[in-house]
Amino acid sequence: MTTTSPDLLAAREISKQYGPVVALRSVDMTVRPGEIHALLGANGAGKSTMVKILSAVISADSGSVSVHGEATHLRKPSDAMQAGIATVFQDPALIPDLTLAQNLRISHLSEDDVMPWLDRMNLGGIDFGLQVQDVPLAVLRLLDLARALAHDPQLLMLDEITAALTTDQASYVFEVMREWKSRNRSVLFISHRLGEVLELCDYATILRNGTNVADFDLTDVDEAQLVTAMLGDELGEQAVAASETSKESAAPTLVQEADRPVVLELKDVHLSDKVNGVSFKLHQGEILGLTALEGQGQNGLFQVLSGDHRPSSGELIVDGDELSARSPYDAIRKGVVLVPAERQNALLPQRSVRENLSLPLYNRISKWFTLARDETERVESAVDRLDIDVRAGSQVQRLSGGNQQKVTIGRWLASGFDTLLCFDPTRGIDIQTKAQIYELLRQLADDGSSIVLYTSELREIPLVCDRVLVMYNGRIVHEQDAASATEEGLLSAAHGLEGASA
Amino acid sequence: MTTSTADTIAAGSTPTWQRWMRRHGWTVGVWLLLVVLVAWYSTLIPSFGSFQFATIITNGTPWVFLAAAQAVIVIAGGLDLGVGGMLVLTNVATARFMDGQSFEVTIMIAIAAILAAVVINAFVGWIVTASKVPDIVITLGSLYFYQGLALAILPNPGGGTSEGFRWLFTGSDVGTGSNPWPATVMIAIPILVVAWWLGKTRSGLSLYAVGSDRTAAYLSGIRAGRTKIVAFGVGGAFAAMAGLSTTAIAGSGNANTVGGNMTLNSVAAIVLGGVALTGGIGSVIAVVPAGLILFFLSPILTAMGVDPNRAQIIQGVLIVVVMMIAGLIEWRRQRRV
Repeated sequence: MTTTSPDLLAAREISKQYGPVVALRSVDMTVRPGEIHALLGANGAGKSTMVKILSAVISADSGSVSVHGEATHLRKPSDAMQAGIATVFQDPALIPDLTLAQNLRISHLSEDDVMPWLDRMNLGGIDFGLQVQDVPLAVLRLLDLARALAHDPQLLMLDEITAALTTDQASYVFEVMREWKSRNRSVLFISHRLGEVLELCDYATILRNGTNVADFDLTDVDEAQLVTAMLGDELGEQAVAASETSKESAAPTLVQEADRPVVLELKDVHLSDKVNGVSFKLHQGEILGLTALEGQGQNGLFQVLSGDHRPSSGELIVDGDELSARSPYDAIRKGVVLVPAERQNALLPQRSVRENLSLPLYNRISKWFTLARDETERVESAVDRLDIDVRAGSQVQRLSGGNQQKVTIGRWLASGFDTLLCFDPTRGIDIQTKAQIYELLRQLADDGSSIVLYTSELREIPLVCDRVLVMYNGRIVHEQDAASATEEGLLSAAHGLEGASA
Repeated sequence: MTTSTADTIAAGSTPTWQRWMRRHGWTVGVWLLLVVLVAWYSTLIPSFGSFQFATIITNGTPWVFLAAAQAVIVIAGGLDLGVGGMLVLTNVATARFMDGQSFEVTIMIAIAAILAAVVINAFVGWIVTASKVPDIVITLGSLYFYQGLALAILPNPGGGTSEGFRWLFTGSDVGTGSNPWPATVMIAIPILVVAWWLGKTRSGLSLYAVGSDRTAAYLSGIRAGRTKIVAFGVGGAFAAMAGLSTTAIAGSGNANTVGGNMTLNSVAAIVLGGVALTGGIGSVIAVVPAGLILFFLSPILTAMGVDPNRAQIIQGVLIVVVMMIAGLIEWRRQRRV
């Protein structure tokens, strides 16, 4: 290393404006060699904008970026790569219609370049002839990571990489990050999971409303301090308090299940080889948690529940009648509605918030030509109830991830439902919005709705749910009161390690 | 631990031939359809021999080239309504300048015409990229422009070319004969070269990448604009080949040919050939039989004794039926996954 500058990356006074909306206002950030640096902030604080600028996907309005003390002009993604910055974006930058091998080829790489990294992430046996669209998202993230590493970057930027990963997959990523650090390279890590951040990172830059408000040495900081910095003093305390209260409100209400009517029941449901005989009952007013490692049949189970797929055998009983759904339309008519994992699948990204909220109302033929006054009001009340930020509301795609998720839930509030299926609803969402969503789910349950909540974040289970089921290999292997569930216990059940309670 | 995931992504999880059929089943199917149609046709007409065979391939050549032109552009996420106009323009310009020239000179003119078409159509691609106006609007303009330019060059049908040049595309000095090989070779060489380029080289794969997911392509360091310009250039070359073969077959130029109709045929052909109009999917090799089949429909219907005035109705219905079958196959496949 002949360089004299101690800083690997120095971003100075970075500003970016989208029309009237200021995304970044004179942000400074410094990353030293051999450090894992966290970039933290609530949704809409400007983290993604910062990452896009550093990877040259967009250009800053003003400000400078220097790498190893040399001013760098980042105009297109290949400039960033040449400067030694490689990025793994939230949506893997892989071409869906090409095979994995062809994708490597267009990035000037060969299979041998990524193989060492894939081996370490337990993906050594991967078939490069597969088309990207046939590969699960979590695997694509890891592949994208391997591809970024193969470019041998000085700075590796990871934008919410752990969001869709299971615990074991995330641990591979952490290992790789530590290894990268030990090579005196650096990582810029973006995550909403503060536990991960505190465990892995050395320093943190905190963004709030487009400005860097604090830098932390993470050796002696706790989550509450980070949250307070991210949200500002008042809001931060509220958010911490909110997640505490939702915990309290969940814990004492030990549901008297037997007294409540069963609204939805599965009897020995199979779906090809993905779901192998799942039975459970969902009671009115209950939040039923479901968790599993990646690919244990949870996707198939939700496809059955939401009416997307008919089970190959077994029964789905809703309100006492068997539901044989040909499409989600049938399930929705029976009051079973889905908040899917991919927000983009549920929303019309180019349409307004209000239009998206009223979309399910179009189902009623009598409403095809008009939106009655009371329904307009229902849409308005959903906006209020969810506290959706509608400033950028003319196109849903401009909203932050958290606000988009609120819209996907809000759609069903406006149209009404009995059973809400949520698949990882807080993926990639900041702590304040998470707390709002937890609170909302609890309110909905208290008002008599039933909720099935799949989550990959185990700490949500005791926080939000009444009861929890753990899936492994297409079966329910574990059931318990959510209040007494521990992350360790759930994790070992999710690995299929436990033969005990069922 | 993550057993099911690991299984689905592991090497050898599906038999190779099964996957090969899944990827290339459509190509195989279209070729088979062509073989079946030819076999059927041979029973419909009194005599079927090398003359009939050569006629189909030779006269289908412009359709094949035009479909290939459209395919390359659509794979890259574009659409070019101008290819039919480029066919007419090339046909007219070459017929005018080749008239009375020696074989060597006609070849020089042909090469110059291809190069000019590449440059002109790449320029159209540049306009599309730079202006961000949808392809369909810009290329509607280029269609009229090419067609109008053709009329200016040769207001009345006429012109000519050398006998050697006619033989090159038709196997005959007079544009019709019993030798199918020159036309076959003239189709095979450029199609195979472009198929190899698209599937195996980084610059070729970039076309699929940009057509499939423009953002992901950009993030992978591909320059989407430049890729589209390249696609339009290559498409222009194929459209010029279509024009050259028209000159060779007809032995003259005709600016009254309706280029717009040929464009629409090229779109129908690529859809039949399995190219997704949304971009990123398809192969130029499957487009060859698709172009021949579309050309071939009217001789078949004539041989069946269908009133030529009604033939278009049947052609339209056939195209829709074939596409519905394709949709059904695709739907069943996705249902199984």
